[in-house]
Amino acid sequence: MLRRGIAIFFIVIGLLLTQGLIVLLHGNGGIYLSVAASVGATICSGVVGLVGMARLRGQASTVHRDLREMARTGKLAALRSDDPDLLPLIDGINEITTAAQQVVSRANISVKELEIRLKVAHAERQHAEAILYSISDAVLVTDSFDELVLANESAARTLDFDLAHAMRTPVQSVLHDEKLINLIREMRQSNSRSERRIVEHSVSTSSGGRTYKVTLACVADRNDLTDSRPAGVVAVLHDVTKEKEVAEMKNDFVSNVSHELRTPLASIKAYVEMLIDGEAEDDRTKREFYDVIQNEANRLGRLIDDILNISRIESGLVKVNRQPQSLGVIIREAVEVILPQAKQKNIAVNEGNTPIFYQTPADRDMLYQALLNLLSNAVKYTPEGGRIDVQTEVDETKKTVVVRVVDTGVGIPAKDVPYIFDKFYRAEANNRMAKGTGLGLSLVKQVIETIHGGKVFVESQVGKGSCFGFELKLMD
Amino acid sequence: MSAKTILVADDETHILHVVSMKLKNAGFNVLTASDGQEALEIALAELPDLLITDYHMPNLSGLELCQRLRQEPSTSNLPAIMLTARGYNLQPEDTQNSGILRMLSKPFSPRQLLTTVNEVLEKLAA
Repeated sequence: MLRRGIAIFFIVIGLLLTQGLIVLLHGNGGIYLSVAASVGATICSGVVGLVGMARLRGQASTVHRDLREMARTGKLAALRSDDPDLLPLIDGINEITTAAQQVVSRANISVKELEIRLKVAHAERQHAEAILYSISDAVLVTDSFDELVLANESAARTLDFDLAHAMRTPVQSVLHDEKLINLIREMRQSNSRSERRIVEHSVSTSSGGRTYKVTLACVADRNDLTDSRPAGVVAVLHDVTKEKEVAEMKNDFVSNVSHELRTPLASIKAYVEMLIDGEAEDDRTKREFYDVIQNEANRLGRLIDDILNISRIESGLVKVNRQPQSLGVIIREAVEVILPQAKQKNIAVNEGNTPIFYQTPADRDMLYQALLNLLSNAVKYTPEGGRIDVQTEVDETKKTVVVRVVDTGVGIPAKDVPYIFDKFYRAEANNRMAKGTGLGLSLVKQVIETIHGGKVFVESQVGKGSCFGFELKLMD
Repeated sequence: MSAKTILVADDETHILHVVSMKLKNAGFNVLTASDGQEALEIALAELPDLLITDYHMPNLSGLELCQRLRQEPSTSNLPAIMLTARGYNLQPEDTQNSGILRMLSKPFSPRQLLTTVNEVLEKLAA
C-alpha cells in the first residue's frame, strides 16, 4: 500500500505542476507560450509519474524474488508453509507487479504521444513564426501588461530594437516611439474586440522619415470568453512611404500638366477675345493675332501628344513595333528635318559618318522622335553661328552603338544636370533661350531606356556646350 | 489727369503683348518686363501706378517680386494684380502684406483684366 501511495504521490505532484504552470501562464496571456508550456508540463508530469512507477516495479520485483528465494531454499517452510496468511501476500505482490507494469506501459505510450504532440506544436509554432517573419510589414504583439510577446524582424528593423532581448519586456522600454506606445496602450484600454483601428504614423529613421499605416487590433483570450479584458494588442505597420511619394508625384504631374496646358490656352483665349472686341485695328495686327492663335494651338497639340506618349510608355500601354533598323538612315532623316531650323540660326550640322549597315532592334518612329528631340534641343540652345555634331561609335565586341549629339550651345548648370531628364524639369538659367515644356528629354529617356533597354547620358559645360547621347544594343 | 502707368511682368511673350495692347488701347502707359528681376529694376526706376504680374517667372517669382517691392520705401505702396495659372498654389497668408489686391487666373479675359485694373485704380483714388 505504501509503495502504491508513493507512485500516486509522484503522479499527483506531476499533475499539480502542469496545472500550476498553465494557470500561471494563462495569467500572462501568451497563447503560444501557454500551449508549449502546457505540453511540456504534461510531459514533465508523465516523467515524474514514470519514475515513481519504475521504483514501484523495482521494489515489488525485489520482494517477489526474495519471497520466491525463501520458498525455494525452504526458509519459507520455516515460516510454516501452511500459514494461511502467506499465499494472499504472494498473490498481492504479484498483483502489484502486474498493475505496476501496466501503468508503466501506459505511461510509455503517453510519453510517445506527448512527444509527437510536442513535435507537432513545435512545427506549428515554427511555421507560424516563419509566416510572421516572411511578412514585410512590421508586426508587434503585446499582452495585457503591454509587454512584448511577439515581434518579427521587420518590426525590430523598422522600430530599431534588438529582437533577441525584447521579448517579455514592457513596450515602453523596447520602443522609442512615444506615439506608437500610446497607440498600443490606448487600444488595449479601449477594449474593442471587434474593431480595428487604422492610423497613419510617421517614423523618423536614420535613413530619413517614413510613413506607416498602423493597423491595431485587440487579441481576445480564446480560452476565456467570459473575461472581457483583451489579452493583448496586435499592431501591424505597413510602409506607405512609396505610395505617398507616388501620390505626391502624381499631384505634381497633374499640377504641372495643367499649368503647361493653361499657358498656350491663355494666349489663344486672350487673342480671340481681342479680335472679337476689335482691339486689333489694322490687318497686320489681325494677321499677327491669327498666327499667335495658330502657333499656340499647335503648341497645345504637341504638348498633349508628348504627355500622352510619356504616360503610355510609363504605363506600358504603348504598342512597340521593334524591327531591325539602320541607325544611319534614321539619323539622316532626323538631321534633314532639323536642317531648316539650324540654317535660320546659321548653325552647321555635321552628320558624321554613320555606317548604314549597322542595325539595331528598334521602333523606328520612336527612335526617330528621340533623335529629333535631341537635335531640336541642340538647335534651340545653341546661339547663332554655332555647330552641332552627330557622332556614332560602334563597339563590335560589346555589340553596342553609342550616338552623341554634341553642340556648342549655352550648356547646362551643374546643379541642373542630374534632373535634366526629369518630367517638366527645365534649367531655369536657360528658360529665356527657348520655349519648352520640359517633356522632350523625359520622352527621350523613356524611349531609349524603357522601350529599347538602352541608356541615356549627358555631359555639359556652361558656355561651352552640351553632349546628349544614348547607347543601344546592335543586332546579333 | 495724366495717364496712369502700369508695369506688366510675364515670361510668356504673347501674354505680355496682349495685355499691353489691351491696356494701351484703353489709354494707359505700359511698361513690360519678361522676368521678376527685370520687373523689380523697372519698378524701382519708373515707379509705376500699378503692377500686373505672373506668378511663375524665372529669376524672381511674382510673389517674391511683390514682397521685395514692399520692402523698398519708394514702392512700398505699389498695388499689384496677380495673373497666374497656379493660383491654387497660393494661400491667403502668402499674399498678405504683399500688395497683391486681386488675383486673376489663366486662361484670363483681357476685358475682365481691364475692368479689374479700373476697379483697383478707382478704389485707390477714392
